[in-house]
Amino acid sequence: MTLGGWIFMLASWLVILGLFGFSLYRTFRPRRPGRRGD
Amino acid sequence: MSEAPLQPRPRERWGSRLGVILAVAGSAVGLGNFLRFPGMAAKNGGGAFMIPYFVALFLLGLPLMWIEWTMGRFGGGLGHSTAPGIFHTLWNKNRFIKYFGVIGIFGPIVIFVYYTYIESWLLGYSLFALNGAYETCTDQATMKAFLNGYRGVASNEYFSSIATAYFFFLITFVLNIGIVYLGIRRGIESVCKIALPLLFLLAIVLVVRVLTLGTPDAARPDWNVTNGMGFLWNPDWSALAKPQVWLAAAGQVFFTLSVGIGVILTYASYLTHKDDVALSGLSAASANEVAEVILGGSLVIPAAFAFFGPADTTKVAESVFDLAFVTMPMVLQQMAWGRLFGVLWFLLLFLAGLTSSISLIQPAIAFLEDEFNLSRRKAIFLFAAVTFLLTQACIFGLAKGVVDEFDFWGGTFCLVVFGTVEAFLFAWVYGVEDAWTQLHIASDITIPRFYRFIIKYVTPFFLMLVLGGWLWTAGIDVVLLKGVEPAQLPYVLGTRILLLGLFIAIAGLVYVSWRRRTREGRV
Repeated sequence: MTLGGWIFMLASWLVILGLFGFSLYRTFRPRRPGRRGD
Repeated sequence: MSEAPLQPRPRERWGSRLGVILAVAGSAVGLGNFLRFPGMAAKNGGGAFMIPYFVALFLLGLPLMWIEWTMGRFGGGLGHSTAPGIFHTLWNKNRFIKYFGVIGIFGPIVIFVYYTYIESWLLGYSLFALNGAYETCTDQATMKAFLNGYRGVASNEYFSSIATAYFFFLITFVLNIGIVYLGIRRGIESVCKIALPLLFLLAIVLVVRVLTLGTPDAARPDWNVTNGMGFLWNPDWSALAKPQVWLAAAGQVFFTLSVGIGVILTYASYLTHKDDVALSGLSAASANEVAEVILGGSLVIPAAFAFFGPADTTKVAESVFDLAFVTMPMVLQQMAWGRLFGVLWFLLLFLAGLTSSISLIQPAIAFLEDEFNLSRRKAIFLFAAVTFLLTQACIFGLAKGVVDEFDFWGGTFCLVVFGTVEAFLFAWVYGVEDAWTQLHIASDITIPRFYRFIIKYVTPFFLMLVLGGWLWTAGIDVVLLKGVEPAQLPYVLGTRILLLGLFIAIAGLVYVSWRRRTREGRV
């Protein structure tokens, strides 16, 4: 695998795991009652 | 169907937020994540393919996901779970828009009909992997002969008839119908809560096994897993100059997220206005991307490369069926614990198929429940009877091009047309201001404001570009029957008449339902 291949693979994984992690964190984080949204 | 005035029954609801996210993710994660994406990326620029892929994901996939979640919840609040009713409430001055919504019921039925049959092969192969039925097949030709014998395409030493395939089809069909019969919460949600985590677990186990394969044949040191990953990820920059690569990436994103089918509309209609859609849509989409890019990208291509080298991998990547039923079984049976990994592979694909196929049933059931006040039992029975008959055409007409026709009209053409219509309807007819407000009701995230511009201008026109480009490069040829063998022509035309009849029948039901609503003053 070339350096370009590694960069594309890791960058793609990072973007997707970032999105997934963000959505999981926001879905399951404890919320104060009565507050919704940002 | 009785003529008594409709008394709407209480709407079903999802039991939990996680349940609906897993159900939508389950609908999106299908065979394409593990079989279509890796082959598509490898032949369209490798790592460079991810540039158009991400552009399409952020400009087309995510906005369309949010549009469908929002439209679905909006429609559900007015008692509509399917596209005819939802489209009509968004544009009630237009008498014809509800007939565009017919696609949102027709498409899922058509896909369900052939998808369930293919899904049943995976169940059959899970058993074959366990009892070693295909272990005598040691090369591509014999493995293909095994598959063709099983599907009834050829009678050979492995299978003398289609009976085995038919048996597994019956089990799969009854399983699908049974799950949806139990309802949204007790059926679909309960199954997805178990199947999705299990599916991810199976995929992770298989990925770990593939990534630790090293160099299976010491005589061929270049045929190793690292180079296999390179086969998929090494960028070919010249691909970015080709319009068809951008079109392929947009198509892949579109199909993988299950947008443009009508399923997300229906699933989201069982939410209340106290439920978020923005974050849930993002969660379901990102879970699908993990399954596709990270897990799907680390399975078939590196495994096939390590065992068969670059030339054969290029060839097998062309056909998703060959990857699933020919290449992977051969690869897996060469490993230690080959039977176990074979079972895990087919079980993984079966679960991916099952969580998608049950989602395809719900729009038709919801339509009959909402618009004709049928009980779930009657609606399921009607659906099962119609789809069982239609599936016979796919089972016995497989070699005659019938499944390809079902896939073209239900699984490709309808999706792109439906997605384009709903994007314009949401952003231009309903209006982006109201749409934005709807999207953020009870929202747990604030979507960046530039997405207003994307939803209004970029997504609808991007979709038109995809629709036009796809018609130009492939669609028109199929519509005009180019390349169809003369012997298959009667079957292909017969299938088109069958599908047209189904579409007209659903449009007729929409007409009857609205006439009744008008008479009762409920429109």
